[in-house]
Amino acid sequence: MFTEELKAFKRLGFRHVLLQVLNFASVIASGLMIWKGLGIITNSESPIVVVLSGSMEPAFYRGDLLFLTNPPNELYKTGDITVYKIPGADIPIVHRVLETHDVKPKRSSKSKSKETTSSEVAANQRILTKGDNNYVDDIELYQGLEWLERKHIVGKVRGFLPYIGYVTIAMNDFPQLKYALLGGLGLLALLQRE
Amino acid sequence: MALLAAIALSSFVLMSSPTGDLAISSIKVVSSNARRYPNKKQDLAFVHFNITADLTPLFHWNTKQLFLYLEAEYTNSQGVKNEVVIWDRIVRRKEDAFIKFVGKNKYMFRDPSSSFRNIPPANYSLKYNVMPYVGVLTYGEAARTSEAISFPPTQSRL
Repeated sequence: MFTEELKAFKRLGFRHVLLQVLNFASVIASGLMIWKGLGIITNSESPIVVVLSGSMEPAFYRGDLLFLTNPPNELYKTGDITVYKIPGADIPIVHRVLETHDVKPKRSSKSKSKETTSSEVAANQRILTKGDNNYVDDIELYQGLEWLERKHIVGKVRGFLPYIGYVTIAMNDFPQLKYALLGGLGLLALLQRE
Repeated sequence: MALLAAIALSSFVLMSSPTGDLAISSIKVVSSNARRYPNKKQDLAFVHFNITADLTPLFHWNTKQLFLYLEAEYTNSQGVKNEVVIWDRIVRRKEDAFIKFVGKNKYMFRDPSSSFRNIPPANYSLKYNVMPYVGVLTYGEAARTSEAISFPPTQSRL
C-alpha cells in the first residue's frame, strides 16, 4: 500500500528527511509564537476561546469562536461578556456582567506610593455575572466566593465568529478524529517533496 | 473569509443610534433576609419603571440580536462606584424592536453593605449590546433618567 511512498522516502535521503522534520517543527513553533504573541497583546492567557455550553444562548451556541482582550487598567462594565475561570473549576465560563462594585484597594503598609493606579482599582473590582440563558446569577458557580474578582477573569469578549470552533469540540468528543487529523497532517508534512 | 470580513466591517457603516425614553415611577426599599445567610438582614430595592424605545435602527443584516438592559449606577459615600443591572431583555427580531414596557426589576437590587441607608441617589440608564452574526460586539445607550433618583427609607414589608 505504502511501498510507493516508502520508495520515494528512501530516494530522498537522510538530509532531506531532516529538512522536512525541521520544516514541520518551524510550522508548529510559529503557530505557538502567534498564539503566545496574541496572548501578550491582549493580556489574556487564552485570547481565543470556544463556547462549550449553552448558557449564553441565543447569543452564543456551542462551537462559536470568541476573541478576547483583557486590558489591565480598564474596568469591566455591566453588559460586558466575560470569560472567567474559578480556581478548582476545570473549564472557563462565558457569562455576562450583571453587577460591578469598584471597591477601593486596601492600603497595605508595604506599598509606598500614595496614588492608586487605575490597574490597582481594576484589580479590586468586584463582579457578579449571569448567563443570558440562566434564570439566576452565577453565585453558586463561584465555589464559595462572594464576588468574582479580576484575577479570575480571562478576558472580555470583543469579537465573534460562529461555528468555527466546533472542530475542537468534535475532536474532544471523538478522540480518534484528533489522532487521525494529527497523523494525517504529520505524514503530509514529511512526505511533501518540495 | 473575505466575505465574512466584509460583512463584519459593513456593520460599522450601518451603525445608527436609537431613541428612547425611561421613567422611574416608584422605588421601595424593603428589609429582607440575605440569600446565603438566613440570619443576616438585607435591604432589597424594588424599582418600577416605564420604557419606550425604538430600537429598530439597530437592526441591519449583520444583527443577530440585541441585549437590552436597565442599569442603576450610584457612587456611595466611600467613593465606591456601583453598577447593577436590574432588568434585561433579548430582542431577536426587528418586529420586536419597538419596546414598550411597564414593570419592575427582574433581578435583585441590593447594595453590598446590605442596606440602602445613606446611599446617594442613583442614575438609571437603558443600554444595549448589539450582537452580530460575525464581527465585533458594540455597546450603546438608548435612554437615561434626567436626574438621579434617591432611595426611600427602608420599610419592613412590602
